[in-house]
Amino acid sequence: MKTYIAQRLAVGLLTLFGMSIVIFGMLRLAPGDIVDILFSTGGYVNPSERQAIERELGLDRPVWEQYVEWMRQIATGDLGKSYRYDLPAWDIIRPLLPVTLELAALSLIVAVALGVPLGVISAVRQDTGLDYVLRVFSLAGLSMPSFWLGMVIILTLVAWLGWIPPVTYVTPRENFGLHAVQFALPALAVGYRSSALIMRITRSSLLEVMREDYIRTARAKGQSGRVVIWRHALQNAILPVVTVIGIEFAFLIGGLVVTETVFNLPGVARFLVEAILWRDYPIVQNLVMVIAIVVILSNLVVDLLYGFLDPRVRYGH
Amino acid sequence: MTRFSRIALAMSLGLAMVFAGPALAPAQSPKSGGTPKYGGHLNIMQREDLAQGFAVHETSTIATSWPSMPCFNNLVVFDQTKRAETVDNLVGELAEKWSWQDNYRNLVFFLRKDVKWHDGQPFTSKDVKFTFDMVREAPNAPAKLRINPRKDWYSNVEDIETPDPYTVVFHLKRPQPGLLVMLASGYSPIYAAHVNPASYRTGCIGTGPFKLKEWRKGEFIDYVKNPDYFVKGRPYLDSLRYVVIKERGTRTAALQAGQLDVSFPGETTKTAAEQLKKAVPGLVITPVGTTVNDNIIMNTKKPPFDNPKVRLAVSYAIDRRALITTVHQGGAVPGASMQPKPYGVWGLAEKDLPSLPGYGKPADMKAQARKLLKEAGFSPENPLRVEMSTRAIAMYVDMASFVINELKQVGIEATLKQVETAQWHPMATRGEYQIGANLTGLGVDEPDANYNENYACGSPRNYSQYCSEEVMKMIEQQSQELDVKKRLALVARLQKKVEDDAARPVLDWRLDYFTMWPHVKGLVPHDNIYNFGRMADVWRDRQ
Amino acid sequence: MATRPLGVEVPGVALGLRRPGAWGALARFCRKKPLGAIGGAIMLLILLTAMFANQLQTYDPIATDAAQSLARPGAEHWLGSDHLGRDIYSRIVHGARVSLVVGLASTLLGSVLGGIIGLLSGYVGGMTDLITQRVMDILQGLPLLVLALVMSAALGPSIPNVVIAISIPIIPRAARVIRASVLSIREMQYVEAARAVGLRHLRIAFRHVLPNTIGPFIVLCTAQLGSAILVEAALSFLGLGVPEPYPSWGRMLSVSAAEYAQKAPWLVLFPGLAISLAVFGSNLLGDALRDTLDPRLRGA
Repeated sequence: MKTYIAQRLAVGLLTLFGMSIVIFGMLRLAPGDIVDILFSTGGYVNPSERQAIERELGLDRPVWEQYVEWMRQIATGDLGKSYRYDLPAWDIIRPLLPVTLELAALSLIVAVALGVPLGVISAVRQDTGLDYVLRVFSLAGLSMPSFWLGMVIILTLVAWLGWIPPVTYVTPRENFGLHAVQFALPALAVGYRSSALIMRITRSSLLEVMREDYIRTARAKGQSGRVVIWRHALQNAILPVVTVIGIEFAFLIGGLVVTETVFNLPGVARFLVEAILWRDYPIVQNLVMVIAIVVILSNLVVDLLYGFLDPRVRYGH
Repeated sequence: MTRFSRIALAMSLGLAMVFAGPALAPAQSPKSGGTPKYGGHLNIMQREDLAQGFAVHETSTIATSWPSMPCFNNLVVFDQTKRAETVDNLVGELAEKWSWQDNYRNLVFFLRKDVKWHDGQPFTSKDVKFTFDMVREAPNAPAKLRINPRKDWYSNVEDIETPDPYTVVFHLKRPQPGLLVMLASGYSPIYAAHVNPASYRTGCIGTGPFKLKEWRKGEFIDYVKNPDYFVKGRPYLDSLRYVVIKERGTRTAALQAGQLDVSFPGETTKTAAEQLKKAVPGLVITPVGTTVNDNIIMNTKKPPFDNPKVRLAVSYAIDRRALITTVHQGGAVPGASMQPKPYGVWGLAEKDLPSLPGYGKPADMKAQARKLLKEAGFSPENPLRVEMSTRAIAMYVDMASFVINELKQVGIEATLKQVETAQWHPMATRGEYQIGANLTGLGVDEPDANYNENYACGSPRNYSQYCSEEVMKMIEQQSQELDVKKRLALVARLQKKVEDDAARPVLDWRLDYFTMWPHVKGLVPHDNIYNFGRMADVWRDRQ
Repeated sequence: MATRPLGVEVPGVALGLRRPGAWGALARFCRKKPLGAIGGAIMLLILLTAMFANQLQTYDPIATDAAQSLARPGAEHWLGSDHLGRDIYSRIVHGARVSLVVGLASTLLGSVLGGIIGLLSGYVGGMTDLITQRVMDILQGLPLLVLALVMSAALGPSIPNVVIAISIPIIPRAARVIRASVLSIREMQYVEAARAVGLRHLRIAFRHVLPNTIGPFIVLCTAQLGSAILVEAALSFLGLGVPEPYPSWGRMLSVSAAEYAQKAPWLVLFPGLAISLAVFGSNLLGDALRDTLDPRLRGA
């Protein structure tokens, strides 16, 4: 078990290393840099002034040297300084993480709370009218562009109620009720989309398990339908669902970016896009690394959970 | 300085103090709304997070100047309770009195003695000299700006003298009545000499009515009342919060829902205003000019736009009024290179416009355009193909799409290239484009500022790289003209000339439908988005 | 076509390909999977719309008309017109072309590239497989939207560049699916037989293993098509997608639309519905195909 974890962590580290090179390279592929953006806020460009700022920020040094410098900083735990704000990157990122994590967690809860029961109902009533309706409903959530859904929600709210959720972030400690209201809608919007996949997986794995012999045997033995479903079928159907939850977590970022923007939540995802547009290399590089670490760790946790739940798969691969 | 000149200066200063110009105490009572009440908080719209903090001298964007206004003061400012920005409406802030000397060659300011910086340090003439020597990049300037967009505003300043801690003298190379107006812009605040200018990128030490409390990056900017503000009894409000909302739909919704009390200057279009008014009839909406214009830049250094006939054809082809109807839904006005009356002082009147390209009857204008293209060698068999660049922002893209369609009708085939913001200014400054749809905001309605920035030979913001000896002479001439009527005539000629040269055809001047909730009193929008918002005279009515 | 050893379940057969009575198979599919049939019909409708956009349009989609600004849906403009006076219906019709071309091109590009990588990686195995998998992990670890965003910024907005930008996140996902399929097929008897006979590995890979991955490949494509269309819409919304003058459903939903949403809701409604319909259809079709082609894949 320990060797398995160690192996996975080692591989994860290697992956992270590779990713660092990719994100570093891709960022510098994108034309323009922070200096261009700073000058654009001034409305002009002056080559000599430009050089001065480049030198100040260390952008005039050869690319490989900048990469080495970045790696060195990470090794010493220093996440560098934001080009835009001239403040330590970690100080800027730290308050944003809880917002995104909370939104992601709430969205997953919504997704599971919505997806699993719908999937069960849909499987049990397979190929009936209800099944079709539920599948269409679920799929609709997956098909809508996330930014559209968010926009429609805000515009409808303000048009019908003259009210929208608070646009300034309210911490749970400040005002729990307001905080809950602020997060409820975005979580629903993101969760609805994620629930589609979970519903689909729940439904299909449940269907498959229900066909299994031991289920039919249990039924033949006379155990009530509901008991059969809940005790045997769901237990085994949960496994792929857990995997999918892990995958969805990584996919969430895309939906989170737009939702955080539309609902004006100060989270990491929205900030990442802003940083990309500003070519704030230290922020983008380090943030992407942080996200990657979270994803890798969550994948590991999910795999371990999988192994824990299903003895057949324990030391898999 | 020789003994003689010192005596001469002392005498002139003495005379100046006697005959000084408008010496109004800066406290103005708000025009309407009843008796001001003290206390309260306002939430104000902020379109995007600060670009470089509060470093107003290092940026050229409303996104910096609007939220920085409460922190700073100028020498002089446009009356914050009046809408029009004219010389008559100038009032002193840090300057108690001022006076032109020697036929507009020297500008003397007598400063207030009771002003303190937010950190307690006293304000003196040293701060003024420090600020403007830095901005004009004087040879022995004590500090240097990292980015300096308005150096050219002060190119006519020879020397800045501080004979005593409360007197400043601007010595000019030649007469320039427009300098005083430029000093009133929201882009001309006074920095503290005892503070590193770079510190304004992360914080703000000013003399203004509000002190910076917190800038939470990407979220908001919080101000608290400055209890030591030099205007007794001001400000009325206890605190301000500029709320950063990047998403346009969410911004408008927040204003409609009452989570914001005040809109962002220049952000409320006619359509948005109509929707807001319908939803909340009590909202106070004031249509004002913005001193922002849409224009077409053309690379005059490369074919085909090195040919003035082709440029003129482009200008003729674009139906200005149709553009205003579609792109702005009527929320803009036609004009030449200065903001038209009644929003501006110098702009050509409506009656003068039809003689300019693009303002007459659309069919005639388009026919003229085709004729010009033919003369330049293009025809339906040999159409002119160009690439139009614009910034990848919806408003610009819409404008460009409309223009492309207009050009199509006269036989110019244009494709659109969307350029990311990071790329736009380097591309434009380097001349790596053919034709572009552009937007220009003027910090102040003053021909010197406008023409030196955008039309002068070699100016970095003259993206067209247009250079005309004749125009340069005309700019110089109007800059030195002391008689207002004569100057108006010169500027009118200048506007006609640059439109006829199609150097940078102006498409329209934008209007803003500045919106406030009715409980906000004492905030008067100007016909320029950069020069109001000091917030000292604003108060909140109890409902 | 190489002869197939009898008695082995080949997924492609379930769809009725390469067998007489393909129409019969289609009819059976429609009856058994009505939702999938609806999905297929939707996709077919969109495909036809895209192909015959020029014939179906009522106005030039990029022609502006000041007098018709924000016209309500009616006889003149079936779905209304936008603030520049452009006909919404014609723009949606042409937008189908853009969305479909970009969606299909990027999906195919990504899936084919990813498929080849997955095929070779899975077949060869060993160290090559290990390294390739790590590289795929790297690409997949980067959030989809972020990757597309940076690529788009790097390459600049143009249709070929947007296609490339969107295809890149698809590659690792395609590689993973195909590789899984290859791993299971590799051990099958007929492949062993082919190897015993002495056929070269590459030949085996491409002529025997590959055709049997068609099932998962088709499922993958339809699943990714929906996501590709959504990513294109998001990129266009952020200003980095398909540039003017090509009408793109995503860009039609941009800031301008939100601006006029309360006055002219048809600006926001119809493009959003179009996108949703396209993704919806491809997902329905993909689901049904997956159910039909390989019941074992249902849990994947």
